[in-house]
Amino acid sequence: MLLIAATTLFTGCKSNVGSKESTQNGLSYEIGKTAEASIENRLVVNDIPLTEDQKEYTITPIIEGLTNPWGMCWLPNGDLIYTEKEGRMYRYDGKSSYAINNVPAVYARGQGGLLDVTIHPDFKENNIIYISYASPEGAEPGGNTAVAKAVLKNNDLTDFKVLYKASPNTKQGVHFGSRFAWDTDGYLYFTTGDRGNRDENSQDVTRDNGKIYRIHDDGRIPADNPFVNTKGAKTAIYCYGNRNVQGITTHPKTGAIIAHEHGPEGGDEINFIKSGVNYGWPVISYGEEYGGGVFAENTEKEGMAQPFYYWVPSIAPSGFAIIDNAAYGDWNGNYLIGSLKFQYLEMLSVTKSGVTKREKLADQFGRLRNVKMSPDGIIYIGVEGKGIFTITRN
Amino acid sequence: MKLLNLILPTLIIIALTSCGDTKKNETVATNNTASEQNVTTDPLIKSVIRGKAIYRELCVTCHLTNGKGVVGAFPPLNPSNWLTEKRAASIHAIKHGLKGPIEVNGKPYDNIMLPLGLDDQEIADVMNYTIQTWNKGAIITLDEVKAVNK
Repeated sequence: MLLIAATTLFTGCKSNVGSKESTQNGLSYEIGKTAEASIENRLVVNDIPLTEDQKEYTITPIIEGLTNPWGMCWLPNGDLIYTEKEGRMYRYDGKSSYAINNVPAVYARGQGGLLDVTIHPDFKENNIIYISYASPEGAEPGGNTAVAKAVLKNNDLTDFKVLYKASPNTKQGVHFGSRFAWDTDGYLYFTTGDRGNRDENSQDVTRDNGKIYRIHDDGRIPADNPFVNTKGAKTAIYCYGNRNVQGITTHPKTGAIIAHEHGPEGGDEINFIKSGVNYGWPVISYGEEYGGGVFAENTEKEGMAQPFYYWVPSIAPSGFAIIDNAAYGDWNGNYLIGSLKFQYLEMLSVTKSGVTKREKLADQFGRLRNVKMSPDGIIYIGVEGKGIFTITRN
Repeated sequence: MKLLNLILPTLIIIALTSCGDTKKNETVATNNTASEQNVTTDPLIKSVIRGKAIYRELCVTCHLTNGKGVVGAFPPLNPSNWLTEKRAASIHAIKHGLKGPIEVNGKPYDNIMLPLGLDDQEIADVMNYTIQTWNKGAIITLDEVKAVNK
């Protein structure tokens, strides 16, 4: 007989986005020019129907029994390196998985943990490997996204060095970003999320989080990063106004850096990533508050880039790859994006003007956490609660 | 009837101003007086308030703000026969994750929920929030959570 009348009143909070701009006053940087470049690619409508799974492919298990295979990359000898979000990392040689030692302590709350992994472009010479993770390092309780490099010696991480640690820490368990991409000039890009503090973080280049960063392979800040001359800015920032970026990839033909990001309810986006561009979160969005309610000022605004593509409703995208293998026939060149929410792999046919077709692969196979192309051109997927699988065409 | 004495005269109004993932300005009015001090008098109310913040942080993406879930994908908590009849199994799911076929309110679900990295008190809090807001039942204590092992 619990006589609790718990009346819960939700007062929709009008997001105080207008004032955020004032924090930008006094900072000098040019966004107009670069923003236009991506607007060229803008897709105006997103009402492309989702083609049902045609099932003209084979899914083959590679490593089963995994909990949350977040990151994957390959060594030059073909061994597969993969992470488990809870804080473990393995090398798979085609037969067995071997634990990699000296993985740092991670902040494994909610979406945090050991996240992405990538090797140095010259790994053959230097054996350098990079990881991203939710790190508890720092004065405040909680954690935030960190990027570190180490030399992989047999199954040990040695010469471990943190290259970047976003701050401040927070106990929020959401929005760590984490994904890596290398561009054709050898710069390393990594992504973050807004850490559940969209109103303070994403639009302010003097703060970490809600950004995509670009660094040299040793952690130095490139001299031509967009905010190197901006007072107080985090100079590793390459673009801002992002929510939570869990997919970034380098186009195999053009070298373009392309990312997708989670919206709230609706408003997941694909963006071509350009220096200094403001992608608008949370001032503009095609999404709504969880449970409904508009918070964004608008869906577009001067000085803020429109997405190349956006999803309503959200698919909850994680992992991003572009097929670059003629053996996949008319799939070749298509974009692949994992859907956590609807448990399939989304395949997009893309032209210069935008997305022309959407198709489900691996429908209902599980929460698709990651998708990558292996060096020999095979599609690999990481699935929560299952493991790592390949997809080949029949 | 200790529990009854604790809770019976209490009318809680949780008025909250919600800004997406961020929780702010939660106030609790007891006996028609909005009094911050009264917040500390009832462990269940305190737990429910903390649990709401955790729910809005980590649970809302699948189970939604209203706890209704998504038909065929994410089971409802509003209401849920698990929260009334299967307390230990519910705690276990939050603590250690849950995967594979289950039945909630007589409907089948087959999905995965990963462990969330919450400590035992946080698990008690989020259980108390979902039970007291959308279901019925006694307070979940820290000991009840501790007793659920892998």
